Amino acid sequence: MIYFLGRLLQQKWPELFSFLRLVDYLSARAFGAALTAIMLTLLVTPIFIRFLHRRGYVDQWRSIGIASPPEKAGTPVMGGVIIVGCVLVSCLLWCNLTNAYLMSVLSAMMFFGIIGMIDDIAKAQRKSGDHGLSESSKLLLQAGFAVVFMLYLASPFSPLPEAQAGTFYIPFYKAPLFDSIWFYLPIVFFFVIVVGNSVNITDGLDGLAIVPSVFVIGVLGIFGYILGRSDWAHFFLYPYFPNAGELAVFSAAFIGAGIGFLWFNAYPAQVIMGDTGSLAIGGCMAVLSVVLKQEALFLILGGLFVAEAASSQIQDKVGIRWLGRRIFLRAPLHHAMQHKGLAETKVVVRLWITAGILALIALSTLKLR
Amino acid sequence: MQDIKRVLLTGGGTAGHVNPALAIGSIFTGSKTRFLFVGTRGRVEENVVPREGIPIKFIRASRYPGKYSPETIKFLLHLLIGSFQSLFILLRFRPEVIIGTGGYVAAPITIAAAILKNTRLSKARIFMHEQNAVPGKLNRVMGRFADKVFVTFPETLSYFPENGTLVGYPLRKTISRIAREDALQKIDFQIPEGRKAVLVFGGSQGSRNINRALIDALEYLLPYRDSLFIIHGVGLADKREYNAMEDTKTRLQQTYSREQLREIETFYTHKPFFYHIEHIYALCDLVVARAGAGSLNEISAMGLPALIIPKSNLPGNHQVMNARSMERAGAVEILYEQITPIQNKLTEIIDGKILADRLLSILQSDEKLKNMSHLSRSFFNQDALIRIEKHIDAERTIEPGNNLVLLGNMEDLRLPNDHSLLLRLEKEAEKHRHDYKPERIVPRAQDLEYLKNRACALLLRPSWRYRNLGIKLLGLLGAKEKIPVILEILFERKPVPWFKKLLGGDYEQVGFIRRNIFTTLIRLNEFSPEIEKALLAGLSDPYYEVRAQAAHAVAVFGSRLASPETFVSEVKKLLSDPHVDVVLASAEALGQIGGERDALPALLEMWDSRLWKVRAAVLRGILHLVKRGAISNPDIIEEQAAKFILTSTDFRPHFEIKAVYRHLMELVAAEKEKRIVR
Repeated sequence: MIYFLGRLLQQKWPELFSFLRLVDYLSARAFGAALTAIMLTLLVTPIFIRFLHRRGYVDQWRSIGIASPPEKAGTPVMGGVIIVGCVLVSCLLWCNLTNAYLMSVLSAMMFFGIIGMIDDIAKAQRKSGDHGLSESSKLLLQAGFAVVFMLYLASPFSPLPEAQAGTFYIPFYKAPLFDSIWFYLPIVFFFVIVVGNSVNITDGLDGLAIVPSVFVIGVLGIFGYILGRSDWAHFFLYPYFPNAGELAVFSAAFIGAGIGFLWFNAYPAQVIMGDTGSLAIGGCMAVLSVVLKQEALFLILGGLFVAEAASSQIQDKVGIRWLGRRIFLRAPLHHAMQHKGLAETKVVVRLWITAGILALIALSTLKLR
Repeated sequence: MQDIKRVLLTGGGTAGHVNPALAIGSIFTGSKTRFLFVGTRGRVEENVVPREGIPIKFIRASRYPGKYSPETIKFLLHLLIGSFQSLFILLRFRPEVIIGTGGYVAAPITIAAAILKNTRLSKARIFMHEQNAVPGKLNRVMGRFADKVFVTFPETLSYFPENGTLVGYPLRKTISRIAREDALQKIDFQIPEGRKAVLVFGGSQGSRNINRALIDALEYLLPYRDSLFIIHGVGLADKREYNAMEDTKTRLQQTYSREQLREIETFYTHKPFFYHIEHIYALCDLVVARAGAGSLNEISAMGLPALIIPKSNLPGNHQVMNARSMERAGAVEILYEQITPIQNKLTEIIDGKILADRLLSILQSDEKLKNMSHLSRSFFNQDALIRIEKHIDAERTIEPGNNLVLLGNMEDLRLPNDHSLLLRLEKEAEKHRHDYKPERIVPRAQDLEYLKNRACALLLRPSWRYRNLGIKLLGLLGAKEKIPVILEILFERKPVPWFKKLLGGDYEQVGFIRRNIFTTLIRLNEFSPEIEKALLAGLSDPYYEVRAQAAHAVAVFGSRLASPETFVSEVKKLLSDPHVDVVLASAEALGQIGGERDALPALLEMWDSRLWKVRAAVLRGILHLVKRGAISNPDIIEEQAAKFILTSTDFRPHFEIKAVYRHLMELVAAEKEKRIVR
């Protein structure tokens, strides 16, 4: 909104509102978005927490899974609503809403977020952690989105330049690994579904999911900014994606909202993000990566999420269901660390450090080509 | 029933379905009555029905194969075709009454009849008869389309609450009761005076398990040969794998000496088949038989007490259910086939000694025999056909009165299935850690026996998940007698195919099963040299959770070990195991079985282990040593334990507000209790 308003005012009365030139600068808008997001989150969350308590949307007891102490249940869930909401408001204020990149990421966040919300509400209403939306319906809905997204990328409406429609890049390498839309789109399909759910698995300890997400989306925002400027893209030997810079504003908004959320989510948490938050974040991370062609980089950048999701799935599908034994000591990764005797807080901080290192490595790939 | 002109009978597959159908058909005695039997080709009805002079038509039908089986499509196809065929048959024959007695041929007909009825194209009344205590899935569904469902056992009414009616089992020729003296004349062997006669048979074909068990049992019955007489119906089985008479004769020769055989002949006789079994029934005091609905009904008709050995693993377990129904009423006792390891294979057999003991215990008390006889006689309605006739004749089709009376004691008759049973038992075990008793969840001893048997049967299933369930249940049900079976599974060690091995698999009896075997052994709290061997084997198992659980078991059984030194050295090796679970369990175990010289030093040198959990477990181990009084010099401990690194990377949170809240709620609950008592 401010973007449009700024432009409008500038055109009409150039001398009076010349300072509004700032809105043309991505960095200025990004800064504004981050600030708005964090202030909004800090203001709104306490009110929302009370609202959640009144309506009874609290964490329910699950019949399986790690023996979480009964103290854990009872924390309000659906903090994701705040994150998504504040990011949305910030973007509405500071972003150029005609930007196609932005709209695809926002729509992913909303769609996945709504799936998560239905799941959370169902769990709260039925008073059981086992009876949310069924696994298969969640997957079906996500698959539906992934299919639409795939088609969108292949169509002329895609924000990416035509030539880049089927390319697949890997870090450290200048040229694409292959350029075939038939191979590429299925990869996108699986990527969206897998990454979309990976944050869900990581969201098991207070504060564990939000900080690495902030790192990932932050780094991707930087990539967006760089790839969106023809001079910098050329300098770093990346393909140029015009208008991708808008994603940096989104990213900044998310960082703001994330930090604001962390204020309340740190151990012991006053609110947790729930499926609403984790699916929303997973969804927008996935689309963000795809739209900037950094899917392979995600293995490093989002390495923590990948490790958590992989360990969980392997332990469950291969180990417990098929072979009848545990493959890892415990899964997901953070449970294994806890089992060995690390306190929750220590696990979280150590994984933050890990995620930070991975993010730095991912950034370094900008230069190491 | 004179005026009903056209009757359609359906039911087949086995004689158990065809005979009742024919029996019910005999109610319709009008001279102009036309019958039509509908069955499937290649089954019993194809032979039997034409011999009765009843026209028979065939349709397509097949057995319901289960939810996710490749056969399901074939089944649905057959159902469709069969239903269309039935539609034509019904439209042409236009029966007024349709009698279905079960078997999968009944499904297409019932569907077709229901369709015609709902579309008002046919006014035929549909009656079904269920011979077993627990109806099959198909019959349960079809029953809803029938006007009335006639049941044999009282429990079955709970499956058909709106239209079920208790009638009994329809027999064409009522077994005539003849006097004992007359019967004695008609048989071709002698029964000396003052003996209790026992008839043992396993159906017309005979049962290998029953036959062999009886021969073995004779050894234990010999001392009582002056007060018993055993009449053994061996059966007509003459297949490649088993010829009843030959096998029985051979077993007799092999088991007993000449001397013994002569003694046996004074109280035992065997024949392949009895053409007039009612004569034998008339002079015996106890019957040992299988639990087919027909035999049970005959036994009841004769008012005989019985020891029933149901055949296991039949579809719907119907023999077991039938038998349990009569057992609940006190009319019979049940002896279950037991799963036992024989030559390293798990097979279901009947143990001769157990059979002998059960026989003797029943026969000892005349009071008991009379009681059982009385209850047996009154269990089944003997006038099933009359009742059926009455109901078919009646104008109203619903008779609520019948069911409500009996529904009262239906509540406790249905036992939970294995999964819910597990959940309930586990919850109870959580609540009462130290004084857990399965009887609190399963009060009746016979039910407990049945559930133990059912759990044991799970151990033979191909899917490891069911075997795992079985192991867990056996532990929670306190099935100490099944320990040999459980140990057999532990030692089986059949390896998995190579592709599973690549991903971490080891044996077919998977890691979880082996781990739970140790959990179960701990729960059962029995000890023996075999179990000691098992513990030792568990300590070197390839899967870490098994090693950990075995070490835990070593700690629990610590004082009962015959050779603790072997264990101490094995457990010490596990202190350097790569998996933390194993190290934790071993440290504590060492404290329970070791001593000052062999265990203490190994424990003390772990003062600087990396993980605080390990250090804590080691300290706990030392604690056990001290508690057991194995330490003569406490100064060493004081000095060395002080070295232990006490920084911990974990803590247990204490939420003050939650603690206060809990305290408050407990007080309030206590206050409420006081009010109620007042």
